[in-house]
This record gives sequence, C-alpha cells and structure tokens, in this order.
Amino acid sequence: MKLNRAKITKGGEEYEGLILPSSNDEKIVLKLDIGYNMGIKREGAKVEILGELAINPGPEEPQQERGEIAILSMGGTICSRVEYKTGAVYPSTNPRDLMRNLPELERICSFHTKSLYAMLSEDLCPSHWVGAAEAAKEEIEKGAKGVLILHGTDTIHYSASALSYMLRDTPVPVIFVGAQRSPDRPSSDARLNLLNAAYLAKEGNIAHVGLCMHANTNDSYCEFHNGTRVRKMHTSARDAFRSIGAPPLARVEFDKNRIEELSPCKKRGGKLKFDSRISDNVALIYAHPGIKPRLIDSLGDYDGVVFAGTGLGHVPTNSFNTEGANSILPQIKSLCDSGVVVAMSSQCIEGRLNMNVYTAGRLLREAGVIGSGADWTPEAAYTKLCWVLGHQKDAKKAKEEMLMPLAGEITTRSVVE
Amino acid sequence: MKCGIEIHQRLDTGKLFCRCPSSLCEGEEPDLRVKRNLRASKSEVGEIDRAAFLEQEKLLDFEYEFFNKCCCLVELDEEPPHDINPDALKLALGICQQLNMHVVDEAHVMRKIIVDGSNVSGFQRTCLLAIGGHIETSEGKVGIGTIAIEEESAGILDGEEGVKRYRLDRLGIPLIELATEPDIKSPEHCREVAEKIGMILRATGKAARGLGTIRQDINVSIPEGARVEIKGVQDLKSIPLIVETEVKRQEALVLLLGKLKGVKPEENPKEADLTKVFAQTSSALIRRGIGAGHSIMGMLLKGNAGLLATELQPGRRYGTELSDYAKTAGVKGIIHSDEDLSKYKIGTAEADAVRKSLGAKEDDAFVLVVAPEGTARMALARVATRAVMREVPGETRKANQDGTTSYMRPLPGRARMYPETDIPVLELGESLLEDSRKYTGEGLEAKEEKLASLLNPQMAKRMLKSRNLGVFEELVEMGVEPMLAASTLEDTLVALRRGGVEISDIRGTMEELFSYYLKGSFAKSAIIEILPALMQGKKVPEILDERQLHKISGGELAKLLEEHKGNMGELMRNYRLRVDAKEVQELLAKRV
Repeated sequence: MKLNRAKITKGGEEYEGLILPSSNDEKIVLKLDIGYNMGIKREGAKVEILGELAINPGPEEPQQERGEIAILSMGGTICSRVEYKTGAVYPSTNPRDLMRNLPELERICSFHTKSLYAMLSEDLCPSHWVGAAEAAKEEIEKGAKGVLILHGTDTIHYSASALSYMLRDTPVPVIFVGAQRSPDRPSSDARLNLLNAAYLAKEGNIAHVGLCMHANTNDSYCEFHNGTRVRKMHTSARDAFRSIGAPPLARVEFDKNRIEELSPCKKRGGKLKFDSRISDNVALIYAHPGIKPRLIDSLGDYDGVVFAGTGLGHVPTNSFNTEGANSILPQIKSLCDSGVVVAMSSQCIEGRLNMNVYTAGRLLREAGVIGSGADWTPEAAYTKLCWVLGHQKDAKKAKEEMLMPLAGEITTRSVVE
Repeated sequence: MKCGIEIHQRLDTGKLFCRCPSSLCEGEEPDLRVKRNLRASKSEVGEIDRAAFLEQEKLLDFEYEFFNKCCCLVELDEEPPHDINPDALKLALGICQQLNMHVVDEAHVMRKIIVDGSNVSGFQRTCLLAIGGHIETSEGKVGIGTIAIEEESAGILDGEEGVKRYRLDRLGIPLIELATEPDIKSPEHCREVAEKIGMILRATGKAARGLGTIRQDINVSIPEGARVEIKGVQDLKSIPLIVETEVKRQEALVLLLGKLKGVKPEENPKEADLTKVFAQTSSALIRRGIGAGHSIMGMLLKGNAGLLATELQPGRRYGTELSDYAKTAGVKGIIHSDEDLSKYKIGTAEADAVRKSLGAKEDDAFVLVVAPEGTARMALARVATRAVMREVPGETRKANQDGTTSYMRPLPGRARMYPETDIPVLELGESLLEDSRKYTGEGLEAKEEKLASLLNPQMAKRMLKSRNLGVFEELVEMGVEPMLAASTLEDTLVALRRGGVEISDIRGTMEELFSYYLKGSFAKSAIIEILPALMQGKKVPEILDERQLHKISGGELAKLLEEHKGNMGELMRNYRLRVDAKEVQELLAKRV
C-alpha cells in the first residue's frame, strides 16, 4: 500500500502530511508529521502532492508447516484492526497478523493457522457453525492436539454451544477464544486469552468444546467454560464470560504451568461423534409484558421456537381470565398443534425452569411447550433445537431428544456456587 | 539556541471521556486493586514506536488503585470511552480562539501509545484541535503551534521492584496541551511565555488549580545539537536555569563529539562476566550483589579512557549519561573506569584484573554493572547504544531539582499515534465555535479590564491570579457586591485558614452563604462568624438562630437607632455583627 504525501493550503494555513483514506469525498484526512490525524473540508483547499510513502507490510510470511495446534479464525475483535474508511475496527482475514505480534505463542506450542471467515460475530449464521465444525473435525482427524477457534465475542457462546452438539465426545479440546479489546491496543486481553487457550490445548487433559477467556479484571489467569454453559454477561469487560448454573471446567495459568480442574472433565481420547446437520429455521423470542399475539402468529413458518420466558418459564397466558390481561397462549397452542417444536428457557439466566408451580406454566405444558425442569441457557436451548431439528423432523421425537442431556446443557442438580 | 515550550493544564470540567468528576481521592484507601500488563502493538504504519518498545522490553507488571468515587470502568479499560465531555471541548476551543488559532474542520481523537503503565489502556487519548496561533510578549510574537485536548495519565506510586503502581483518580482528567513554536529568545523569555500562557488558561476560571495542575515541558536545541524535551518542570522560577543548563550541556556534548571523532563506534563491544574477579572483594556494594545472586558484568569501551569524566552539567559527567541509559533497564547505576574506584573500595589489583579480562588497553575505558545477569546484560546493551552515538541525541529528559536533567527515554516518534477507533470524528462547526467563545469568556485582556472596573487596582490584580476567579465571577453574577465577594474569597478565607479553618468546597459553600446574604438574612460583618460553623456541617438558618446573627434592618434598625439616640458608634459597638453600617449611615442621614 502507498500513501501520498501532500501539502494542503486552506484559509492561509498550510498543513503537511500523509493523506489517509477518507470515509467520503468531501474531506481530506491528513496524518501530520507530529502524528495527529485531522480532517480538512475539501472545499477551498489546495492540494499539492509532494511524494509517496510505501507502507511496510511486515516481514515475509514463512511457509506454514502443520503444528500441534490448529488455530481457526472466524473474525471478531480478536482478529480486528483499524479500518481507515470508517475509522472503526474491522476483522482481518489473516490470523497470522495476530500471531506475528505474539512471540510467546511459539514458546508454548507449534501451530498452524487457517482463516475460515472474517466476520463480526453478530453477522454469523448457523451455516457458519457448520463450516467451523467441519474445519475442526478435519483438524482433529489430521491429528491436531487441540483446536483454537478465534471468534467475535457477541455470539461466541452460541457457536460454542452449537459445536458442543456437533462435535460430541471430541478427543481433543476445541477452544473458542475471543477478545473484548482489539489486539491493536497495548492492553488487549487477546494476549492472555490466546496464550492460556494455547497452553490448555497443548497441555491440558480436558477434551471439551468450550471457551477460554479472562476470569476477572486482572491480567492473571483464564477460565475454561463448557460450551453449553457459557454466556456473555457484560457488554465490554474482560471477564464478561461466565459459566451459568455450573462452575467453570478449569482455571488456566500458562505462566505458572498450571491447569486446575474446577468441575469433573472428560479426558482426552475416545472417538469423535460428529454430526453437523442443522436447521437454520428456529426462532428465539424474548417474552415481555404486552407481547403481541400477532408476533407469535408470524412464527408459523419456523420448525422450532425457543422462548426466553419470564421467571420459572412463563409467557402471558391470562390464566385467571382477568379482563384486560394479555395472553399469547392460543397462538402458542396453535404453533404446537401445527407441529412446530416450542421450547422454554428463562430470561432470569440463573436457575432452573419449573412449569408446575404456576398455572401459566401448566397451561403452557398442556399446550405442548417443553423445557420444564431444564436449566439450559436460552442460547444453549436455541442452538440445541437448531441441531436436533437438523436431523429429526418428527416433532414428537425431536421433543424427546431435546430433553436428553447431550453436552452439559441440562444438569439434574442445582448446585450452590 | 532554539526553544519552545509545551504546557499541560488540567481542566476542572469533569473527566474527558467518562462522566466521573475531575477531583482526586487523596488520602483515601482504594476500593479495588487491579493487576495488568501491557505490550506495544504495531502502529497503523507498521512500526513500533521506539520509546514504546523500550518500555515494553522491560516486561513490567502494573498494579492500579481504583476509587469508585472518581473512577469507573472507562479508567479501568473495561468500558469504551463515552462521548467527549462537551464542557472540556468548548473550553479548549474557546482558548484556541483566544489565541488566534486555526481550528481544524474535523478533529480526530488519537491514541498516543505509552506503555509505561501510566495509562491502563496503554495509550493516552489526545485530539488536535487547532494550529497556527500566537501570543504577544515583551520580545514580540511567539507562535502557538498546536493545541490538543487530551487525557491526564494515572499518578505513579512508590513501587516494589518489578511492579509499578498507579492511582486511577487522576487518569482521564482533561488536559489542554499547548505547544509554542521555537520562537523563544532567551531563558528569561521562556519563563515569561510560560507565565503568560498560564495566566490566559487560568483567566477562563475553569482551569484546575493547585499542585501539579499545570506542567511545562521545555524543548531546547542548539546548532549541531538536537531537540531535547525536558519534562516535569514544576515551577516557573526554575525555567531560566533549566534552559541555560541544557544549552551548556549540548555545547559540552558537541565538544565531546570532537574528541570522539577518532574513536570508532563499536556496535557490539566486548562484554564479560566478572563475578569471579570480585570473589574476594572488599567492596560492600559488590559483595551485597554477589550475596543476592547477582552477576558483575563488565563492558569495554575502546578509546574512551578519560572521556567518561567529561563534565556536561554541574556534577554530571558523560559517565552519568551512560549511567542514565543503564538505569532504564532497571539497574541502580554503573561503575566506570573514569571514576575514583576507591570510593567503591575496588582495589587496583581488581581494576587491573577487570582490564585484563576485558582486554583493555591504556586508552580504553570500562563499565561495570551489578545486577541479575539478564538485567545487567540489558543495562550494558543500553550503555552501548549511547556509547556508539556520534551526534547529540534527541531525548526526553527529566528536570532535576538543581536545574540539571537526566535521560528518560528517546523522543517519541510519529509511530506512537494511532486513531482511537471507539470515538467518531468530531465536526468543529461554526455554531460549536460560537458556543465555545461564550462558554470560555472574553480572554485575559478583557478580563483584566473588567476586574479593573469592578475592584480597586490592587484587588483586581490579586483576583486575576486567584484560583477563586471563577467563583468570584459567579458570585458577582448572583448579585453580590464585587468588593465583598473578592474580600471574602481573598481575605476572609485566608484569615480563616490561618486560624485552622479550611473551607473545602469553596464554590458550594460560597453559593449557599451568599444566597442567604442576598435575601438580607445577615450582615456582611457576620460572614467570618458563619463560615466556620458552615464547615461543621450546619445550615445557615441554624447558625443564625444559634448565634443570634439575624440581621437587624429597616424599621427595627430605625428603632434601635432611636434607642441609641443616634449614636452610631455605640450602636455599632453593640450590634457590630447584626447591622449593616451603610444602612445605619443612610438612616442617620434621613434622621438629620
């Protein structure tokens, strides 16, 4: 890439510097020699080009050899860098860009990288989960000791959960890693997250699909969470990811050569049960006061619907026929009757569903809504329904399969943490 | 000589990119301690800044003290910056206009990479607002090159070895960074320029006051020398001496370079582990080091014999400069062959053994470092970096108490600036500029005139320099007589302070006090009685009741005057704190 060096004269003042790409034609963005960027309206400005500056692309990439650890990238902040046109960050296509700035990684393990997608995670679809699962399977079959998947944090817990169903009994750890601060910042959390994830992939005797990120606000250690139990619980903090309804699987401290198991973990080995068939025709609906029956009516084309209900697993049902009270029960019943699989989860996030305590829960169960007794997160329930409906078209069987614990998404005992 | 200054002034408007107050939590226990580390990342043009890289090489852990009262997740780098503080922006833009500057059409917030831990994020947010202004001085116009608005860094605490500790209360307070052109004519002129700019900033009444709220960095160079930035100049009086000393230092360096002409620079001078040489040493310093498991590393400086003793500043030699470079690697200093080695109790036999191990000839010098081996090697590498230089290096230096300076780090380059991607660009249109002019006020000269019209000349001069100028203006705006407002702020408060009564929230206290005064609740002579009680947390009406300080005026006062048979002197003696002398005079005049 080359940038022009220019002198711009406007309003009796001279500005000299490099012309950077600008978001529109009406202004010129100039990087002055003192380092500052500034914008000049083009109108009335005289531009004189003085020369060119070639931007150093960095050292030549060595040919990649296969390493013990496969690093797959799907985009997100952890792969991001600045984008001049908008001045915001965008996901880069090349995970090696990131690795080049992380010399410590080579001391932990040998690795190779592969770019699957360069997307912000809110734009990912179930089809991208399939792509990631297939790429991970290929790496496992070729003998990788572990797989890291770099991913945007907004929906990383959806992907981690989906791959937990697709890659059951994985013989090696499949570890999602994200960053809340982009790696172009000196304070990025990417470094600690990646080094701990790599250490876990290389040294840990834990074979789960999960997520490894900061355990607290300090740059000291990370926690490894089960893919179906983890959830983003903060918009911006480093320790946004928490295990819900269960302790994390492990605490990881690469610089102390320590991996401490915090829950019973499946060990390495065994045979991968791979099934990446998935339905992308499932909706996740957040119940709320005043929710309109017509919203539920519009869900008829879906194969499955998961509600993030209130409390123990409720939506408005007007169970006591009170005048002026809201109900979407008839619409839910007709969804169920038409063969749509409807599952309940709770927007409380913490705690177990129980649809026996209140009439509303009982009415929903009678209408055909499943989930009572489960302690899954809305995201784990949603991704599970996508996966179940991918290979089970019979609604009755699909409902039975939904309620069978598959990858830690349903536990039988509520423990004190 | 070429000389310019850079002024950093804190603003009292609340923090720049969050809504925390711009006050400090001095003396308080932190609510949380957080551990972080930083690494230098690539800049947008693919270089790692030299200064940033040097800090990063040290691999330090940082610990931060967090206070809920004046910090939030933004300071902790756990939340993106909020929109820029509109008051701080307006104040800065108002100052730009007072200094005849060209405000840029569109301002871009940048990240200035600084990985010494003083910013949790590893960068300081800074934004260029204007260029090309000037001020008038006794020696003609001095150009103001740039004005930027930026975040104050965190305050450093005394650290244990290997961990740097900072307090987060200061981090994020807005600073105006103002850089003059190198138009300063003399060391004394430099002081004048710094003082004038300080007055202009403070005349807004919205600049923070108190220790450390304004800092001057001085840039000095001479022909054949280099630009050197001197940081940490705390008071104006020391400026001329610092400038003079730096000019002399560069002149001495130019002379030294003449002597170094025939000495070939060696990129990798010979190094050796000399711990064994000192096995039987009587040097307490070295014995202590060996006892702690440290190595004694030596390095040969060919052809340098005698040169290390060259004095560059009073009491500081070329060897001291090399030592400053070594210190940046975390050692306490160096020992070199141009020093009197007997002061370390290093014997001639040991010195000879060192020379032999390093293969030193008569005209060669050597340097010793006592430290853990890795640190010692890094320190020697830093010494070597300085020793090969055959020009006056451009450096950032720290001002010492005695007017000398010590090396801190290389001058930062362009590479340390990176766009702040979390904040959209700021359009600086005409309506914002107009708001800013209104918000900032009329400027130093107009303010001088206005104060002269409100106060006697002596009080006008004091008020102009007073940290309570802003409060004074607010009180006058409320309707308080200017002389009363000024004497309360400048005389009464000082008298109370001397008597041990410190008024904490001056603005709030004055507003409360004078709102009752303007309602006629008490006489002005009662103010000095009311203030100490207000500081004990009491309310004005309560104080007036308790101390019988309600004002007597109108019919009641007329009646009292009759009772005193028109004897004003006696009335004032009896009711000094409750009546207004002026009103008594008016009543007396009517009575006659």
